[in-house]
Parts: sequence; C-alpha cells; structure tokens
Amino acid sequence: MSAERMIFVFVLVLAAGFFSLNVQRLVGYLRVGKPEGRLDHPWQRAWNVLRIAIAQEKIFRDPVAGPMHAGIFWGFLVLTAGTVELIVQGIVPGFSYAHLLPHALYVVYSFSQDAFALLVLAAVGFAFFRRLVLHPRRLDGDHTHHGDAYFILGMIGALMVTLLAMNAFLGVADPAALGHEKLVSRALAVLLGGVSPATARAVSHVNWWLHVLLVLFFLNYLPYSKHLHVVTSLFNVFFSNTSGPGQKGVMRAMDLEADVEQFGASDVAQLTWKNLLDGYSCTECGRCTAACPANITGKLLSPRKIVINTRQRLMESVGGLGVLEDDDRGPVAAAGRHLLDDYITEDELWACTSCRACVQECPVSIDQLDIINEMRRHLVLSESRFPQELQPAFESMERNGSPWAFRPADRAQWAEGLGVPTMAEAFAQGRRPQVLFWVGCMGSFDDRAKKTTIAFARILQACGIDFAILGQEETCHGDPARRMGNEYLYQMLAKNAIETLDRYQVRTIVTSCPHCFHQIGNEFPQLGGLYEVIHHSTFIERLLEENRIPLRTDSGRELTVAYHDSCYLGRYNDVYDAPRETLKRALPIMKLVEPVRHRDRGLCCGAGGGRMWMEESTGKRINAERTEELLATGADTIAVACPFCMTMMNDSVKSRAGSVDVVDIAEVVAERLQTS
Amino acid sequence: MKIAVCIKRVPDMESRFKIAASGTAVDEAGLKFDISDFDAYAVEVALQINEKAGSGETTVICLGPDVVQETIRKALSMGAERGIQLKADSVPADSLAIAKALAAELKEGGYELILFGKHSLDAMTGGAGTMAAELLGLPCLTAASKLEFIDGKAVARRELEGAAELLEFPLPAVVTIDEGIARPRYPSLKGIMAAKKKPLDVKPAQLGEVRVTVEKMGMPADRPPGRIIGTGPDAVPELIRLLQTEAKVL
Amino acid sequence: MPNILAVAETRGGELRKVALEAVTAARALADAAGGGEVHALVFGPPGTGGKTEPLAQHGADKVLVCEHAAYGRSDAESMSATIAARAAGFAVVLLSASAQGKDLAPRVSAKLNAPLLSDCLAVRLSDGSVVVTHPTYTGKVIATLKATPTPVVVSIRPNAVTPAAHAKPLSTETIAPAADPAASRVKVTEVVVGSGAKLDLGEAPVIISGGRGLKEAANFKLVEDLADAFGNAAVGATRAVTDDGWRPHSDQIGQTGRLVSPDLYVAVGISGAIQHLAGMRTSKTIVAINKDAEAPIFKVADYGIVGDALEIVPVFTAAVRAAKQSH
Repeated sequence: MSAERMIFVFVLVLAAGFFSLNVQRLVGYLRVGKPEGRLDHPWQRAWNVLRIAIAQEKIFRDPVAGPMHAGIFWGFLVLTAGTVELIVQGIVPGFSYAHLLPHALYVVYSFSQDAFALLVLAAVGFAFFRRLVLHPRRLDGDHTHHGDAYFILGMIGALMVTLLAMNAFLGVADPAALGHEKLVSRALAVLLGGVSPATARAVSHVNWWLHVLLVLFFLNYLPYSKHLHVVTSLFNVFFSNTSGPGQKGVMRAMDLEADVEQFGASDVAQLTWKNLLDGYSCTECGRCTAACPANITGKLLSPRKIVINTRQRLMESVGGLGVLEDDDRGPVAAAGRHLLDDYITEDELWACTSCRACVQECPVSIDQLDIINEMRRHLVLSESRFPQELQPAFESMERNGSPWAFRPADRAQWAEGLGVPTMAEAFAQGRRPQVLFWVGCMGSFDDRAKKTTIAFARILQACGIDFAILGQEETCHGDPARRMGNEYLYQMLAKNAIETLDRYQVRTIVTSCPHCFHQIGNEFPQLGGLYEVIHHSTFIERLLEENRIPLRTDSGRELTVAYHDSCYLGRYNDVYDAPRETLKRALPIMKLVEPVRHRDRGLCCGAGGGRMWMEESTGKRINAERTEELLATGADTIAVACPFCMTMMNDSVKSRAGSVDVVDIAEVVAERLQTS
Repeated sequence: MKIAVCIKRVPDMESRFKIAASGTAVDEAGLKFDISDFDAYAVEVALQINEKAGSGETTVICLGPDVVQETIRKALSMGAERGIQLKADSVPADSLAIAKALAAELKEGGYELILFGKHSLDAMTGGAGTMAAELLGLPCLTAASKLEFIDGKAVARRELEGAAELLEFPLPAVVTIDEGIARPRYPSLKGIMAAKKKPLDVKPAQLGEVRVTVEKMGMPADRPPGRIIGTGPDAVPELIRLLQTEAKVL
Repeated sequence: MPNILAVAETRGGELRKVALEAVTAARALADAAGGGEVHALVFGPPGTGGKTEPLAQHGADKVLVCEHAAYGRSDAESMSATIAARAAGFAVVLLSASAQGKDLAPRVSAKLNAPLLSDCLAVRLSDGSVVVTHPTYTGKVIATLKATPTPVVVSIRPNAVTPAAHAKPLSTETIAPAADPAASRVKVTEVVVGSGAKLDLGEAPVIISGGRGLKEAANFKLVEDLADAFGNAAVGATRAVTDDGWRPHSDQIGQTGRLVSPDLYVAVGISGAIQHLAGMRTSKTIVAINKDAEAPIFKVADYGIVGDALEIVPVFTAAVRAAKQSH
C-alpha cells in the first residue's frame, strides 16, 4: 500500500472514529431525558420522513428559501453517492461506479454529480446573498449563530468548488478521463486550458484531497454546529408525532397517581429524549417564531428560543460539546441551574396561545408546544406559580364547573322557550336522542355566544334533527384548565363530564366551540371517553350538502365576507373548508375574501392556551393585529366559527370599525332559514 | 412562629340556597364546601408570616363533624403543617359555645399568634375569635387588613368606616382577619399530595351549654326585578329617591 | 319588664348616627315588652356629656357618660370591661354592629358569659327570650335566632333601624371606666383619615365604574366627580378602557381584574360583557346608565337609566351632592 493510501486510511479511520464517538456522546445525552415509546405506526412515520424530510414539503412553505434549501439538500443527497465513491477511491485506487453500474446509469450518475455541484454552488451563492443582503428578519434574534451559518455555507461552497476543480483540472490533464456527460467540468476545463497537464493533474489530485478532507472535517464539525440537523432531522421527523400518527395537538397523558417527585418539566431531565432530540435538530431558521402571534406582537416568547434553550441547557447540564451551548452570557456554573427561570422565563411560557403555528411551520417536525405545555404543568402542579388571574378561573371551575363565576343553575337559560329538550327530560320520556348538542360554557353564559347557540339550535330544529342538550348537567370539560397546565383539575372535570355523557349513553356530539370539539373528540379518549364529535361547521355543511336545511331561495345579501380560521378547528383538526363552504352555500352572492394569513397560516385571535383568562400587558394586542389584517381585506363582515374568536374579534372590530359585523357561521345560516 | 388558625367549613356562597325540610337549616344537597373566605385569608397570612421568618409551624383547627377533615386537608395542602378536628355532631349557632371549645384547645397549644377570619360566611356572627381571646385572656385585634412583624413588634391595620387605624400589640395575641391581605394561595398538586400525610388529630369538642338556637331559616324578601326607571337626565330624581328609600344606600 | 342597656357610639366626641339607631332599637324593644328602662352608655373625651341630649330625645331614660381623654376613638379593652361592669340588671345589652360594635360585642359577651346575637336586622322579646333576624350565607338566607338571657348581647346592623324620636327628659350620670385605657395592650399608633386618600375597590361601599360609553378618557372626570359626590366611593373601570389606557389596570373590575361587592355599584357607559359582570354581579344594589336599552348590564341592574351617560352623570352628581348635604 502506498504511503498516500495509508495516510488516507489513517485519516479516514480517525475521522470516522471521532465522529462516531461524538454520535455516541450525543445519543447518550438523550438519556438525560425521560424514556418514551415512539416506534408505533412505523410505516406512517416512514411516510412522514419521505414527505417532510426528503421531499421537503414544509420547507417549500417559504417560496424563496424553499427552492434554495431544497436545491442544497437534494444536491447533498445526490452528491453523497459521489462522496462515497471518492472515499472508496482513497482505499481502492481507481475505484469507480463505472465498474459496477450499467453504462447508461453511470452516465446519468456522473452527470448528476456535475450538475448538482453547480446547482448547489449557485444555491449557496444565493444563500449568502440572502443572509447578507436581503437579511430576512427571522434569521435574527434568539442568539442565533450567523457565524456558524456562514461557515457552513462556506464549507459547502468549498466542497462544490473542490469537486468541480478536481474534475475540471482532470479534464485539462487527461480529457479522455472526463466523461462527456460532465458538461460543467468540461466547460471549466476549457477555461483552464492554459495550465500544463502535469500541473493540472497535481492540482486535481490536491483538490481530491481537499474535497475528501473537507468532507471528513465537515462531518466532524456537525456535532458542534446547528448543521447537526443534517444527521438528526430524518430521525427527528421519524420520531415526531406532530403530523401524526395519531390525532394532532393532543396533550400528553399524565398519570397523577404515580408517586413522582414533581409534575411537568422544570429542567431537561423531566423532558423526554424526543424533546431533547428536537433541541439537536433545530436549524434556527426562525419560521416558528416568525409565525408566533405572541412574538409578532412584541412578547418575549419565541418558540425557536424555547428549543435552542433546551439544547443549550442540555449541553450545560452534561458539560457538553462546544459551540452549541455558547451564548454571550459567558462561562456559567451548571450546578443549581434549570431550564425554567435560568433560560426560559415564566412570561414566555404564559404568553403562548397554543395556536400551533410554530409546530405547523417547523420543517424538521419539532414540537415546541410540547415543551411549553410540560413546563406549564410544572409551574402549576408543582409550584402553584401562575398569573394570578388564573386563580379565579381555577377556583370557579372547581366550584361552579365553569371557568367563569356563573351559576350552574343558569346554564340552560338560553334555551328557555325554545323547546330544546334536555337529556334528562328525553330519558324520562323514554327517548334516546341521537345527537347531543354540547353547548359549552361560552355558549351557555356569554351573551354574544348565546346568540350563536340559539342560531345553531334553530338550525337543528329546522332540519328535524333528534337532539338534546345536557342543560344544567353540562359542566366544563376542563380544557381551559388543561391548557393552563392544571392537569389535576382537568382530569377531575373531564372524568366528571365523561361520567355524565356515559350515563346518557351519548355516542354522537355536535358542538359550536372548537375547544370543546377538540377536547371531547380528541383528548377524552385518553380518559376513556369515546364519542364521535362533530364541529357545527362540518355538521351544517353536511346538512347543506344533503339539502336538509330549508333556506330561503332569494340570493341573500351581497356581503364581502372574510372568514377567520380558528386555530383549534384549523391547524389542530384540518377543518378549513367546511366553514367556507357553509358560507358560500348560505350566501350565494357573497364574496369571500381571504386575509393574508389564512388557513394553516391563519393568525390566532389570541384567546387560546388559557389566554382568554389572562391579562395581555406587553406589546400589541394579538386580537388587534389580527383585526387589522381582517379589516384590510375590505370585508364588511367577519365570519368566525368559535366563541373565543368571536369575543376577541368583536371587542377589537367594534372599536375600530363599528360598521363591520362579526358573525358566527351558524348565525349566517340561521338568518337564511325559511321562516314559514 | 407557632401559629394557630381557626377555620370553618362553609358552602360555596355562589350557590343557590334552599331551606332544608327541618326549616332550621340550609339544604346541603349538591353544595360544594370549602374554607370560609376570611379564614382562608388567615391561613394565607400565617403561611406568609412563617415563610418570611424562615421557620415556624401553622396549625389549623376546625370544629365540626368528620366532613370537616376535608376542609382541614385543604388548609394543609396550602402549607399548614398540622390539623386538629374538634369533633362535634354539628356546629352550633352559639358562637360563645364554639369559642369555649376552641379556647379549651388553644390554651394548651403554646401558640404565639392565633388567627381567625373576621366572620364566617355562613353564620356571619363574627364572635368566636374575639370571644376566644377574651376567654384566654389574650389581647385581641379584630378585622385586621394588614398584619406584619416589624423589629419584633406586631403591627396591624384595621379599616373603619372612612378611616383606618394602625395598631401595635404584644404577643401572644388573637387577630381576626379582614380582606385586603394577599389572596389565599392555590394549592399545588404537590401540596395536595403532601397534605395527605400531614398529622390530623381528632379530639372531642368541649362545647358546653348551647344557648342560641335557630328558630327558622328563610329566604330574604324577593329583590324586585331590575327595571329601567327612565330615559335621560329626567330620570335622575327618581333614581335618587329609590336609592334613598328602597335601596337605602344614599 | 326588661331593662335594656344601649351602647351609644361616638367618634371624636360626636355621637354617630348608629348611636341613635341603637337607642331607638332599645326603646322599641323595651316598650314592646311592656316598658322598661333604657340606659344609654356613652364613651367619649371630656365634654361628651354635654352632647348627649339626642339620646334622651330618642328614648333613653338615663345616659351613662364615661369620659376619658383616650375616648376620642375606640378602646376595646377598657370599654368592654366598663360595659360588662354596668350590665347588671339589664336583660339585653345592645350595640350597633358598626366596626367598633363588632369589636366590643363579643368581648362583652365573653365577659358576661352571655350569648351573642350579632348583626341583626330586627330584635324582639318573646316569652323572656330574645329573638332576632340576622342575615346569613352572605345575606342569601335570613336566620331567626333565639337566645335566653340573662343577659343577651345583641348588635344591630347599621341602617337596619331608622332613628325615631321618643323624647325623654335627659338624665345623665357620670361613670368611670372599669379599666384604665392606658393599660390596654393593643395600642393605636396612628389614625389614617380616609377622605382624600384613594379608597380601595375592595373596601369602598360605593363604586362608580366607567366603560366605553364614556367615549374618551377625558370623560372619566364625570365618573370621578360622581364618586367625589358620594364621598365614600371608589372609581372602577372595564377591561376595554383599561386596555386602551384610559385607566390603570388596577382599576379594572371583572374576571381578570377586581371582584367587588359594594353596597352600591354604578355602571356608567358599560354594556356588561360576561367578564365584567363576573366581577361585580354580587353588588348589593346596581345602577346602570347606558344608551343601549338592550345592553346586558340592564339585566343585572336594579335600576337603569337609558340615555347618554355624558348628559346624565353630571345631573346625577349634582343630585347626589344635594342629597348628601341634606342628610
């Protein structure tokens, strides 16, 4: 074996060894977190990897950065084949895929290396331009590492340059050795024609070495850089639940009987290995933060920061690897520090509206909301530390079965005189209503929301649906408590509600509140409550499709309507079309306009995540931000499908544009009912 | 500091109350119970005093049947260290009898500070605390809206109508607590779990003779339904008249 | 024929209205049982004796005057000792359930080993027992209680009895405190006078609250003037106007703000959103002024005026001032 080969093998073994040691270390650090099973539904997980990681589905949500990144990533995938070939060449001189592949295939492969090298170089060039000149806002903030990014881009660029140079100079030294399919390298060879063959061969060889060394160096740089996502993202997407399997947006089940020292998470050891893997996989792209309604309106909360902090704290707690935990705080003593308070403040955690925009945007399927929820659970269950405005809500849920201080006896007052039976009444008469209309606390007590309740009840009656309400037996299902982190109170309320529902053998539930819809339909199964739950927009749309709703035949008013997507209906449950279709059918000559941020990019109204009960004292009000956007469409009517959105939009719209109506889609339909 | 807080188990005051068949009590069916509000403030005050001092023990004492143990556990879940139930079949309407039973228990406790709520939300007599102090021969301060220990001295504030007094007093003493003091803390799940293991002693209540009895419980005269009495400034004289004669707030 | 001892409260040496209420109640009680003596016990600084005529005018057969320099304000220990010392021969010791009375009554009760019936709306004697009605469960249930003397200590809720004239010739007797006020263990170090200082929303018996109907922040002056006219009123606000910065967040009444239960709540230009109602629903009397007759606030208000708050409030303010002056 030649000396050169020996050196190469030595370097290769060294690099590979060093890399695998780091991988072992990083994997080991994951054990700081709690265990959890993530191997269920392997085929669906594999499909997610294909769709999101390989096909870059979420990356393309950004029309500029999308193609740029896809170019670099797919280029990387294609060029990896070439990298392998080069490394084998180092061990077995003269090795080439040409010896293994049928000629036609080899030509395609060879061309692809050349073409993608140029493509990636161009993409890297654009990436530099974008970062340096265009300077998108989301790339700043949260102590993100521009230096790291430039270094990575520089290395990728250098890899492409050395690859092309290697082939180009080979083409100068020995044109026959360079296949005709290597169009780019051959073109470059022409430009370099002046160099003598001997020099060219030497330069080509040097570039071979440079390229391979760069690859090995880059490989070992990964664990110290945010570029680690190259290795972890495929695993992260595989193990993630954010795009299924299972229902999206369901909070973790919690066993409160377990004799544990603490509940929820205040530090990395109480998060799971998956949360920590999320920390490794963050590329600091900032798409999550750019979509966060709290961050947009000036709050401290940044989903990206939550994830970066998780990684930083993990590294700090294990005395770990270099660059990743670096931030401008300087050397810190790890002992006695926690993720909570030392990195992530209470204010950040409480500012979250649980709208799921961050989770929706993340190209590597990180679940920022999971970390926030676990930390909220710790704050409430272990330390009883929460915004004081929540205490009346907790106490009211405990005593009155409603997060507001209204009497349970007043719950069905809206139904007086409407001939709406309660389950108790129906059962007493020997009837078993097919559908339970779950009204919810807002729909029962809030004056504005009651109008929606009445409208929907009228629709159900007009269609002759056999339904009943629980009336005074309805209590809060505990979702507000759960979102606020009070799992104990939540389970108490939820179990109580399940008991009532089961007592009446309820199978099908329809509700006009997306929070009730999500909670009862998607989260009750955790506690054994299994019901088919339909949101009223879906229910109405079905009735309309079946022509069961007796609508007036006149064409209705010529309204310009902007529909505001509810987060719990939209991002959580993918219901975007039903409300829109409902509007179109109910108002045939209406013009439907969309705000800039709509459907799965819709901006939250600000009430979710328990924030309906909290003060908003920093920055701009989220509902003001959203209202301005909706009003900018020129709509004269804003349609909603959620009583929380209704309240938030109503307050804000009325103070800005008194003539614009805010209506629930049920009200729109009810108004169009034939009155005969 | 060794603090005792006397608490009472009362129903949630937001409930719609009905009179029991006996006619001399409220029907308890379906009611939710908790620590009476002012008593809860007192518990909070005790906890804050000991937290600030860095040491101390808070004992909660409650008179009544075994159901009151639930209420004592609530106080324990807030952070009180010990509970005592003075067992009695029911809580009498005679606050002096209650005070005697409490005084008998408090006498042996060696407490530096004894707190009560200024009145219980159900009986609303406001007597037991001050009476207990009298029976124990201890100084008593009623309806404190602030209580602090500054340079080893006990300092309190009470609200009068339109004015307030600042007072000093020696320990041991009895203080009854008014509103204005920090909100009673919400027990954490950790606290609830811990409360299950804290000591709760049950002793018989030495009530003695009960000389106040309930003849009858009834609903107050129906408040006339709200009404719009007029439009514009012309309706003001009528409003004044109603506020003076009917509502009696002017 | 039962004799009644009424404690007549003074402040700063002046008789308070509750003193007349106590004497009136004592007189009515004695007369309904066939007559008996009503003695009024007054504590006050030197010179108080000369101001006791009104007590006789309201039915006191005798006025016991206990003067001491310290009695410009209450001293529970020496006063309760004095009352107890003079209680012999009386079937009922009657006080007002004022702040002072609520402090004194239980002490007297313990000292005399006499049952206490406190904060009563009405008192009567029935076959030798004292029977009272008394609000319980935050006023939602009225209890009728009975106690057997002797004696029984009774305190009457302020405003439950209207002072009634029942003239008797004034007969005073000077008595000495049964205990030296200087020996009292609880000492008043300072008296903070309320007017001028901002009343806390949680304590104020009257709250005037403003909402969006006031149109702009400057108009809150009308609310402040109205509060001023009442004298013992605090100013509150809805979330809408605190969010817009018209008033500080600490003034906000509602679900996420203050929960209040004043005797009188005046809602000016407030529509009555669920969160606001949750904060003030338990007020004893609610007055609403709003230009929208359909506004939810009118459903919880005892008295409502429909109209422009900007026009109505100044008129209301002037009327309140006039009413207060004549009282």
